[in-house]
Amino acid sequence: MEESDDSIRRAILSGDKDAYKVLVARYSQVVFRVAYHITGNEPDAEEAVQETFLRGYQKLALFEGRSSMATWFYRIGSNCALDIVNRRRPEPQNRIGEENDPERNELQLADRNAGPDRLLLSREIEAAQQAAMSELTPTERTAFVLRHMEDRSTDEIAAVLNIAPNSAKQAVFRAVQKLRRQLAPLWINT
Amino acid sequence: MKHLNEAELIEHYYGESASTADCERHLKSCAACAKHYADLHRDLDGVKPIVTPVRGEDYGEQVWQSIRSSLPVYEKPERSWIRFWRPLGWATACALLLAVAFVAGRQWERKQAPPVAVAADPQARQRVVFVVLGDHLDRSERLLVELNHAGSNDVSALPLRGEARELLANNRLVRQSAIRAGDYKVEASLDRLERLLVELANQPDEPNERDLDRLRQEMNTDGLLFDIRILRSRVGSRALEPQGAATATKGVSL
Repeated sequence: MEESDDSIRRAILSGDKDAYKVLVARYSQVVFRVAYHITGNEPDAEEAVQETFLRGYQKLALFEGRSSMATWFYRIGSNCALDIVNRRRPEPQNRIGEENDPERNELQLADRNAGPDRLLLSREIEAAQQAAMSELTPTERTAFVLRHMEDRSTDEIAAVLNIAPNSAKQAVFRAVQKLRRQLAPLWINT
Repeated sequence: MKHLNEAELIEHYYGESASTADCERHLKSCAACAKHYADLHRDLDGVKPIVTPVRGEDYGEQVWQSIRSSLPVYEKPERSWIRFWRPLGWATACALLLAVAFVAGRQWERKQAPPVAVAADPQARQRVVFVVLGDHLDRSERLLVELNHAGSNDVSALPLRGEARELLANNRLVRQSAIRAGDYKVEASLDRLERLLVELANQPDEPNERDLDRLRQEMNTDGLLFDIRILRSRVGSRALEPQGAATATKGVSL
């Protein structure tokens, strides 16, 4: 029978450090997924996972049980990932342009009609999407990832970002607007 | 007709519209809004989900190993009643410390006070008795000498009556002590002295030469003076003896 999160928490707070291993094993995959969605790369996501479980251990005594422990780790993971993204705020990103222009940081996207290889096109769309995502601010990116890919509610997004629900809604709205603008050439050509 | 704006369309897309039924109705009846919504739907559906790299089943173990050494061990929490009583315990300890310091101070003061120590020691108390008795006999001897040698010219100048009254009270105490100690020779001498002191103390005025002559004859003050001197010399020598010798003799037997 699987040990409950609460009994594990009590064991840890009573001095059984190794009991935390169970919680790490139980939630590391979920935290990695959300961290990867927010950071967009493996090394940062892995760093966020480690940071998440370090923070979680330190704050374990403060866990009040108002949400599930899964949600709690999820929020900490999102925050850690967001912190990493903020620390490594990217330099000006490539923009989608008519031609490759390093001076303007513009990236030329292949037209669907340029070749029959749809796989290549798919990769190009993915690259364009990645470039468009990187144009978003960390808050917008996190809000959009949580809303669109993690299917989280506005209230949950607000809790992760520590902002008002209306601000979370606005962040999602701005992210969608920016993405649509950036990805519009792709849809025209499809 | 009020059209739906982009924010409302996005809310509707994510299923968070305040009134989903109204939106649906409007989209069915408004071609412009329906087109906008269809475009939005296509764009957002086109955003591909980010494919997360697969982590192995032992990923949790890897994470655990990487952080394990950085985690401190939580100390076992105190029971709530210990937490509650702890301040009270400290207060009690402080009060106890103060009490111990107070008692220790008192003890130290007592050790510093010699009279108290003497009173507690039977040998020392014996020596004090000898000293007091010696002093009383000394004063009595002086009184008897003055009485025996008082001339016609200076009788009125001698405060014999006042001195006798003072000695009378002391003499009674010393005599009772001698009775309790079973020292009847001393008691007999002190009894004779007391009778003389009573006579002197109860004189209506300062005694004149005739009164003194009468007392000298009636009381045999010369003999009494002799007894007192012998008694005083023996008491004096006892008081100066070492402690062992002093304790070996009960009372002031002559």
